[in-house]
Amino acid sequence: MNDYQIAWNLMKKVFPILDDSFTFGQATDDGSLLKNEFYQCVESSKTLNSGRIVQDLLVSKIEQRLRNEMVPEFWSYFKRSENDNKGFKQFYNAVKSLYDCFKQLDHVITKLDMFKQATQLGDLIYNENNTHDALKLILKATLLSQLNLEYQVVVMNFYETALKMEDTEEDDGQCIICLQESKHCNCLHLFQETNRKLGDMSLLEPLVGQTLTNLIYTYIHAHIQKICKDSFDSSFIVILEKWLQTVVINWLRKIYCYDTSSSNNEVVVGMFDKKLTNYLYNCYTKIRIDQLFNIIIEYPESLPALEDLRLCLPRTELKPLLTKKLQKAMETRLLHPGVSTPDVLTAYVAAIRSLRILDPTGLLLETVTQPVHQYLRSREDTVRCVVSSLTEEGPNDLAEELIRGEIVQVDENTPVDEDGENWETWVPDPIDTSPSKSSAYRRTSDIISMLVNVYGSKELFVNEYRTLLADRLLTQYSCDTEKEIRYLELLKLRFGDSQLHYCEVMLKDIADSKRINQHIKQDPEYSESDIPMSAMIVSAQFWPPFKEEKLELHARLVTQMEGYTSAFETLKGSRTLCWKNHLGVVDLEIELADRTLNLSVSPVQATIMMHFQDKNVWELQELSKLMQCPPTVLRRKIGFWQSHGILVETKPDVFCIQEDLENKDNNIQEDIFVEDYESESAMASAQDQREEELQTFWSYIVGMLMNLDTLPLERIHQMLKMFAFQGPTIECNLQELKVFLDRKVREHQLIYSNGYYKLPK
Amino acid sequence: MKVRIKNWTGVATWKWVANDDNCGICRMPFDGCCPDCKLPGDDCPLVWGQCSHCFHMHCIVKWLQSQPVNQQCPMCRQGWKFNNK
Repeated sequence: MNDYQIAWNLMKKVFPILDDSFTFGQATDDGSLLKNEFYQCVESSKTLNSGRIVQDLLVSKIEQRLRNEMVPEFWSYFKRSENDNKGFKQFYNAVKSLYDCFKQLDHVITKLDMFKQATQLGDLIYNENNTHDALKLILKATLLSQLNLEYQVVVMNFYETALKMEDTEEDDGQCIICLQESKHCNCLHLFQETNRKLGDMSLLEPLVGQTLTNLIYTYIHAHIQKICKDSFDSSFIVILEKWLQTVVINWLRKIYCYDTSSSNNEVVVGMFDKKLTNYLYNCYTKIRIDQLFNIIIEYPESLPALEDLRLCLPRTELKPLLTKKLQKAMETRLLHPGVSTPDVLTAYVAAIRSLRILDPTGLLLETVTQPVHQYLRSREDTVRCVVSSLTEEGPNDLAEELIRGEIVQVDENTPVDEDGENWETWVPDPIDTSPSKSSAYRRTSDIISMLVNVYGSKELFVNEYRTLLADRLLTQYSCDTEKEIRYLELLKLRFGDSQLHYCEVMLKDIADSKRINQHIKQDPEYSESDIPMSAMIVSAQFWPPFKEEKLELHARLVTQMEGYTSAFETLKGSRTLCWKNHLGVVDLEIELADRTLNLSVSPVQATIMMHFQDKNVWELQELSKLMQCPPTVLRRKIGFWQSHGILVETKPDVFCIQEDLENKDNNIQEDIFVEDYESESAMASAQDQREEELQTFWSYIVGMLMNLDTLPLERIHQMLKMFAFQGPTIECNLQELKVFLDRKVREHQLIYSNGYYKLPK
Repeated sequence: MKVRIKNWTGVATWKWVANDDNCGICRMPFDGCCPDCKLPGDDCPLVWGQCSHCFHMHCIVKWLQSQPVNQQCPMCRQGWKFNNK
């Protein structure tokens, strides 16, 4: 036996791991027994100068053991199991076994350390100053090199169960892992033990960290979703932050701070805290952004949610996402034909109001509502809806805005007085602003200005208001104009006196009519036979054009009207009245054999009844001739009385009175179309008016073509623009003109060939 | 059947009984008002001259004031006299 042999045997005794047949657990190391051998060993390696070789050999053996025995054993615990609670135990056992092995290896390393000190060996293992750290490094490397597929599931399982244990709201006194009563359960203890062991091996972060973060993210997300779902009426930021601290961070502290002596772990938790708070904000903001459309619709109830969002936005950089998502939501939920214009307007107004809170600079509002603007422009009834919501109590509450009073700024280039602004509170525009528009314009908080701007013209708006007012005055026939006058005054504040002058005259007409009616009734010359009359006397020049309909009234009424007219003529010298026979309202009392009806009907319907009073049976043709009303229209009007069960059609086109209702129950025609006369406008429709306007151009066009023979569309348009289009409303674009001319071609009043129009010879 | 009309509210437009539609001076409709007025009817009446031409009262008065001598009807150049019929 030479020196080497002796030294090797000695070595094997001191470091049993060097022997391949050695297994852990059976050899109970007795330090005192081996002290001798240890020093001999140190001596021999000193003489042989083999310290370095011993160390390398040991490290390689440790690696081998780890690779071939310990790590595979550890991973063998990781099997997918359906039962959550089993997963908890699995992981605990795995860590336990690994830790036992680690402890033994650590023991070897301790001895190696002593050996190194004794032999004054300076060589480092894997560049680690501390040999224990080197062991941890080797362990980590080996573990990760053999990573098991199921490991994340098991780890997730383990921590999820533990987290559930932490955050059980309904504590039924039972541990959810071992299903024992809480006081007998030591699961929490096992959990902490596992964490401590992992921490000892420095495996907590590499093995668990990522999974843990994922788990907590999912958990936070689910939690926020749960508490914020569809409830916009309270603020959650404070609650959520508190929850994060008390539940999540505390729990993390339990995992990481197994060792109270080390301050390093507080740093880890602190980092987690920052990361998780940031995630919390991000997650909350994203959820709110997804709900933003609903939040806007529910404004002002959703104010707390908006405030939350406003606080979150600067901390999360999610503004671009918000803009994109909201635009998308608007498009899919608002801007399609299924939504009625008043609803679009309501949403639009709510959006204006709520986005102002989110972003006082108005930039966000501008970008998001741009498509809404464009869309509203394409809807025909927008102006009408805006006007009616301005002057009526409705869900839009625009009347309130009107009262706030501010002059409408239609043109964005109007110089705005900026002197009044306090320079100390001035905030620069956001960087993504387009510099072409002044910020003051964007900052105006006036909703009505914005709505009027949808169309870009005050005139259109005012015109629509006039039509609406006329309609309302003529359908209500009440002289109670107090409310209208108030609205008119408010509108005047915004749109200026000149624009609303016509409306003023209209309201004055109503008041004057009331006075004239009283005067005429007191006139001794005027006798009120059996028909009490009153009249709405209007100034035709100032009202929008009336719808023309021909109607011959009953002779009794005609005389009555003549009486009224002559009374008016004596009252107002040199003036006379032109009656609009088809307009007005009549209060009737109809006495039948078995019932009496009180109704308010239109003049046409009243006239029908008056004729039927004279004669019980009428043929449609006959009546139509008498009333000068087309049979089809008349039939529709008679339908109204049929639906009341007063008239019946006994033979085709022959109508007669039905005195008794009871005997002829089955004769009532329930399904007759009843004309809702309230809904009919007394004013000419916008389309009719437009037609008339275009008709005024016709003489110009004829003149042009007479002089120049043939002209293309563009030339005609240009010439009209030069000579005929005067005033803001009388204008027509190329498209409209083409439609008009094409109609003339169809009516054979024009000839179109080769892109040129000319008059027929 | 008996029909009793409790009240008949009709709609009528008023107009001046004149031989023209527009005022010869301001070219505005008679049923409207002269350029200086806001309210038609009683507040901006018509007047007739003995030559049977008629104008907004405000228009013809303004015209007559601008003619210190020879107050004539602007339409027919006869001497202007109000016709108080």
